[in-house]
Amino acid sequence: MPRLPNTSPQTLRVLELLLESPRAWHYGYALSQLTGLKSGTLYPILMRLADQGWLETRWAEPEQPGRPPRHTYRLTGEGAKRARTKLAEVAPSRMTRRLVPVPGSR
Amino acid sequence: MPTLSFVERFADALAGRLLSWLQGRVAPGSREWLDALSAEAECADDGWQRLRWALGGVSLVWTLNERRHEHEPTRSTMRARFVSGIANIAAIAGWYAVIIPATYAATYFLRCHLSFGYQPGGCQEHPFVFGSIAICGGALGIITALALRARFAAYWWAVVSVCNTMGAVWYLRSGIADLPRYGATQSSMLMAATVGVVLAAVMLETPGTETARAPVHHVGDGAGAPASSLSRHRITAQVTAGAISFAMVDSLIRMRDRHLVADDVNHYAILACAMFAAVLAGLIGRHGSPLSTKGNIG
Repeated sequence: MPRLPNTSPQTLRVLELLLESPRAWHYGYALSQLTGLKSGTLYPILMRLADQGWLETRWAEPEQPGRPPRHTYRLTGEGAKRARTKLAEVAPSRMTRRLVPVPGSR
Repeated sequence: MPTLSFVERFADALAGRLLSWLQGRVAPGSREWLDALSAEAECADDGWQRLRWALGGVSLVWTLNERRHEHEPTRSTMRARFVSGIANIAAIAGWYAVIIPATYAATYFLRCHLSFGYQPGGCQEHPFVFGSIAICGGALGIITALALRARFAAYWWAVVSVCNTMGAVWYLRSGIADLPRYGATQSSMLMAATVGVVLAAVMLETPGTETARAPVHHVGDGAGAPASSLSRHRITAQVTAGAISFAMVDSLIRMRDRHLVADDVNHYAILACAMFAAVLAGLIGRHGSPLSTKGNIG
């Protein structure tokens, strides 16, 4: 069965995290650390979300001199709304998956 | 500041090199995301983490280039396809250009006997030669393919190297010094590789799955219509091109000393049948697809 856009577990994890503080700007490295996603997975997700208008991006001045500017991300108003809807839609199925008993646990 | 070990410094330098190499692999207009990833590499705690982070850049560059091709108009896409096809063939040809001299060099340096005769099974090589050449050759093939942005060739050699590695390990475990029925084994590995590549391509092209790019809709597609499978057939054609080049090089080596015998004829007959089937499947798919008549192959 074809999967709907932005419903992969990795994308949902990113959305979930961004929704925790939707108005704050996030760094890519911190997002990777918190979601456990590798850079090669995280960046294509961020790129797609930005393309779809869910995410706004901004170059921030480096905190230490001599370092390059850093790219930061946060959900747009529309993105936050859609992300909440998306998470609410998939929540029951994710919950069901979590509730499957471990074999031999009874 | 903590003292970095030699290995960590090496990993750190490698990460830096990789990122600057990747910068050259994307169009200037698409560099923003790679710049973003590169800037974050500075936050990694040590060389290894930086290298792991930088490796993600390979996947990102791949995605960026894929997206760029997707958004190009049809004429440019056709040109890109042509270039990509040439790159794939060049990558495969490059691998052969490495593996054949390497085989002879390895037999010379390892003082092994390389014969193309009619001993039981034909070509016999030392398992270490076979294993090292197959594995290194596969790795070189992947690197060549990635350097040329030839995605198909990278898959091809990834599968070939896995099959060859398994074959080499099996031979080494069994303690067989010679490789009996080398030709047949090679063919079966090739077949396994071909099947693997086609399967990978089919899985990647499955319509409706979430990919790094937005869903592609073609003119004339209804809602929920499957995406064009022509790219799948294009890959099949490339598989065929790779298999033909393999067969040609292999047969040239074998024929250098003597004519092909029954075994070889059989194995090339099987190979040829598979190739014809692949071409036929490609042609049927091409003419059977409603999208192909609309000129918006996608």
